[in-house]
Amino acid sequence: MKENIVIVGGGIAGLEAAAQLLDLGYKPIIIEKSDHLGGHVADWNCLFPDMSPAKDVVSSLIARSAEANIFLNTEISFVNKLKDSYNIMLSNGISIITRILLMTTGFSLFDASKKEEYGYGIYDQVMTNKDLEHWFNTGDDKRINNSAMNAVGFVHCVGSRDEKARNPQCSKVCCITAIKQAIELKQKFPDAMVYCFYMDLRMFGKKYEDFYINAQRDYGIRFIRGRVSEVGENIDGRVIVKAEDTLSGKPVKVTLDLLVLMAGMVCNPDSTKVANMASLPIDSDGFLKSRDNVADIIESPKDGVFYAGACTGPKTVPETLAEARAAALKIYLYIKGLE
Amino acid sequence: MRERFLTGYNDFVLPFVCGMIFVLIYCLVGLVRIILQLPAEDRKRFFISLVTPKTLVKNIKDIFLKCLIHVDIWKRNKLLGYMHSSIAFGWFMLIVVGHIEVMLYTSRLGLKALYYPIFFRYFVAETESTMKGSLIFFLMDFFLLVVLSGIALAIIKRVRSRLFGMRRTTNPSFLDLIGQYSLWSIFPLRLLAESFTADISGGSFLTKSLNYVFTEFLSNHANMLPAWWAYSCALGIFFFVLPFTRYMHIPTEILLIPFRNAGIKIVNARKGFAKAQVYSCPSCGLCIDACPMGVLKGNIKDTTVYLNRQIRRNNETRIEEISDKCLLCGKCTAICPVGVEGDKLRIAQRAVRKYNFGPDYSNIDVSEEIQRCNKFVTNQNNIVSSSDNEKVLYFGGCMTALTPAIMKATGSVLEKAGIEFEIMDKDGGICCGRPMFMAGRFAQAMQLVEKNTEIIMSSGADTLLLSCPICYKIFLEKYHLPGIEIIHHTEYFERLILSGRLKVRKEAVRYVYHDPCELGRGCGVYEQPRTVLSAAGELVEAAKNRKESICCGGSLGSLTLGFEKRKAMTENALNNLVADSPERIVTACPLCMSTFNRYADRPVEDIAMVLDRTAY
Repeated sequence: MKENIVIVGGGIAGLEAAAQLLDLGYKPIIIEKSDHLGGHVADWNCLFPDMSPAKDVVSSLIARSAEANIFLNTEISFVNKLKDSYNIMLSNGISIITRILLMTTGFSLFDASKKEEYGYGIYDQVMTNKDLEHWFNTGDDKRINNSAMNAVGFVHCVGSRDEKARNPQCSKVCCITAIKQAIELKQKFPDAMVYCFYMDLRMFGKKYEDFYINAQRDYGIRFIRGRVSEVGENIDGRVIVKAEDTLSGKPVKVTLDLLVLMAGMVCNPDSTKVANMASLPIDSDGFLKSRDNVADIIESPKDGVFYAGACTGPKTVPETLAEARAAALKIYLYIKGLE
Repeated sequence: MRERFLTGYNDFVLPFVCGMIFVLIYCLVGLVRIILQLPAEDRKRFFISLVTPKTLVKNIKDIFLKCLIHVDIWKRNKLLGYMHSSIAFGWFMLIVVGHIEVMLYTSRLGLKALYYPIFFRYFVAETESTMKGSLIFFLMDFFLLVVLSGIALAIIKRVRSRLFGMRRTTNPSFLDLIGQYSLWSIFPLRLLAESFTADISGGSFLTKSLNYVFTEFLSNHANMLPAWWAYSCALGIFFFVLPFTRYMHIPTEILLIPFRNAGIKIVNARKGFAKAQVYSCPSCGLCIDACPMGVLKGNIKDTTVYLNRQIRRNNETRIEEISDKCLLCGKCTAICPVGVEGDKLRIAQRAVRKYNFGPDYSNIDVSEEIQRCNKFVTNQNNIVSSSDNEKVLYFGGCMTALTPAIMKATGSVLEKAGIEFEIMDKDGGICCGRPMFMAGRFAQAMQLVEKNTEIIMSSGADTLLLSCPICYKIFLEKYHLPGIEIIHHTEYFERLILSGRLKVRKEAVRYVYHDPCELGRGCGVYEQPRTVLSAAGELVEAAKNRKESICCGGSLGSLTLGFEKRKAMTENALNNLVADSPERIVTACPLCMSTFNRYADRPVEDIAMVLDRTAY
C-alpha cells in the first residue's frame, strides 16, 4: 500500500477521489494551487435542485479526505516522464515519484469582461453568477442595494455556445443555475421583476424541469427567448438591456437595477499547462482528451493517468462526484494489475 | 550603309508582321469598346482630360515613370525594380533607336516600315571602314544587353522569388507560360540573329564580338536565315498570344493611366474602367503576399491577381466566390504597382447581384432621434450656442455600442477637455450604411445615409465626432453635411492635445499602434494617432505598418469568411504587431479592438482608453 497516488486539484472531484482511495487503503497526495479546498463549489451558496448548502457538501468531503497528504498553495513546477512513472516537482520544492496521476483540475469561469458588449467591468450594475453567489454567502456587494431592487436580469450563455468568445461548448449548468439564482433573488426581493434572457433552456437533469416550472408559475420569473444584443448605462447608473424576443419577433428594451451574467465553464489554463508537461492530449474544445468520450471518459490515453470531473468538459456536481468514485475504483484496479 | 537586297523583303518577316497587325487591331478594337462602355459623363471627362495641358503632362510623366521605369517597384525592391525597368525601358529604347536608325539610313520605306526597324540588320550591309552610325550600333547593343540582363533576372525570379522580396508569386496559366517563354526567347534569338549578320551589317561590342568569338559557327552564313526565322517566330508567337496573357497589361496600362488621371471611378464591375484595370493586371503577384487571407494557403487563389484572371475568363462562380470572401482591407490596392483597385472591383461585383427582396429603410421614423439630439437647438429656427465651444455631436456607431468602454472613455476625455457634446446614438442609432455599401447594396446604404443626414443636420452641431473608422469612411465619402466638420476621434484628440486643451501625462509604457484598414488606407489617417500615443507613452512600430498594416481579420468586408479561418489571420496580424515587444496594443477601431482582444496575449485598447487614463 505504499503506492503514491497524486491527485492534481483539491476541488470536489479530487476530494471525493481521495476519500474513496483512503477507504481503499491508499494514502493519496492532493496538490491544490489555492489556499483552500473545495474549488468552485466552495464559493457557491446553494446547489440545485434541492437547495442543499454547498458548504455542507464541501465540508463533508474535506472531513472524509482529511487523512490524505494535502499540499495547499502548491503548483506543479514540472513533470518528468521516467520509464514507467512520473517525477513531479512541486513549487514547494518537494518532488514525488508516482505511477498514478489523477487529474481533477476542473474548469475556469469564463472571464465575462471579454464579452465587452455586456459591460462587465465597465458598468457598475453588472455582475456574474459567481459574484452573486458571493453575495448570497456574505451579503457584501455594493452592486446590490437592498432598498432599490426593482428589476433584475439574467443573461444566459455568456461565453458558452459562443464561437466569438472561443467557446463553442455548452456549459451545461448555467441554465439551471440561472433559474436557481433567479428564484433565490426573487425570494429576497419579492417585488422585483426578474428576467432571464436565454437562447435555449437545457433542463436535462433530475427535477430541473420542475424547477423551471416553479420559477415561472410560483415566482413569476419572465423568460425571454433571445440573446441580449447590447447593454447600455442610464444616467442614474441603471443598465439598459436590449434584446430581441424571438418568440414574439419584437425587440425588447428593459431598464434593470442589476444584470447577472451567467459566465460559462471554460478549460482551465493551469490544467492545460500540466497536461502539456505530462504530454497529455487536448481535445478540440480545449479540455483534456479522454481515451474515449463514451466508454473511457475517466482515462487518459496514457497509462496511469486518469481524469475526473470538469477537466474533461463541463459537468454538474453529481456527475463530478460519480466520476471521482469511478476514477478511484479504476486506480485501485490499475494498481492491482501492476502487482 | 547600303541595302543588301533590292526587294528589301524576306519571308521570315511574316510571322512578326502578322502578329504585329493582329495585336494592333485587337488593341484598337478593345480601346474603342472600353471607351464606349464608359458612362457618357466619364467619357466626356476623359476626352477633356486628354486635351487639358495639366493632365496631359501628368499622363506622359506617369506613363514614362510607371510603365517604363516602374518607379513603384523600385521603391519596393531594387532588384525587382531593375528587372522590370530593364526589360520595359530597354525594349522601348530598342524600338525607338531602331526606328531612328531606319529613318536615318533608308529612303523610300513604304511597306518596309512595318518590319525594317526590327530586322534592319538583315537587310543592310556595312563595311568596316565606313561604320556610319557606330553610336547607334553601340546603343542598340547596349540596350539589348540591358534587356538580356532583365530576362536573366526574370528567369532567376521564377526559381527563387525570395531574392526579389516576394515570398509567393503567381501560378502562371498555360498561355501565360507560352507568352513568357516566347518573351524570354525573343532577345537571345535577336542576339543570335544579329551576331550572324554582324560581319555583313556591322555591329557593336556585343554582336560583333560574338561574331568573332564564335567565328566557326556564326560566320557560316548558311545558318543565318534559321536564326532570323526563329527570332521572327518568337515575336510572332508573343504577339499572337499577348491579348490572352498577362502581357496584355503592357498596352492596357497606357490607357489606364489617363483614365485614372481623368478622375474616372469604377461604375460597372466588368465594363469600362473596371475592364481596363482587370487587363492592366500584370499578374506580378505582389498582392498575394500582401493579402491578409494568405496566411491560409487555401485562400491564395482568392487574391486580386486571381480575381482579375477569373474576370478575364468570365468564370462566374469563382468571381462570385472571390468577391464575397475578401475582407476589403484594401492592402492589395495600396501596394499594386499598376493601381488595380481590388477592393472596389469586388464591391462593384457584389453590386451586380440581384436580390429577391431587400430591407427598406426609407420609412424609418427618425423624429424621436431628432428630438433627442437637439441639445444645440433652442427653438425651431434659432440655433443658439450655449458657449463659444464647438458643438460636438458624437456618433459611436454599432461597433462602439458593442465596445462600451470606448464610448465611455471618449466621453470622459471630452469632458476633461471641457467640450460640450451630445451622443447621437446613446439609445440606439441608425447604421451609418457602410456595411450595406460594402455588400454592394448601394440603394439601401443611401437610405440609411439619408436618415442619418436628417438627424445630424437638425441637431445644430458643427462637428460630427466618430470613433469608428468604418463609419468615418462612409461619412467622408457619401454624406453631404454642409457646415459640419466630420472628424475621427484620433484626429480630434490630436487637435485637443496640440491646442493645449487636453494635457497628457507621459507614462513609461511601450505602445504599438495598429493602423485600422478603414482609417489608414481607407481615410489616410496615419500621423494623428501616432502623435497622440507619443504624448501618452513610448510608441513603437509594428513590422508592417501604415499603408502595409495587416487587417485584424475581423473586417465586415467579407461576406463568407468563417470564424475559424479568421483566427489565423488575427494571430498573424498580432505577431506582426508585437515585433518590437510593446506592452500594450492600441488601435483606433472598435472592431479591430474586439477582434484582437480575443486572441491577444497583452492588453488591447482603443486610443480613447489610453487617453482617458493619461489625460487630465
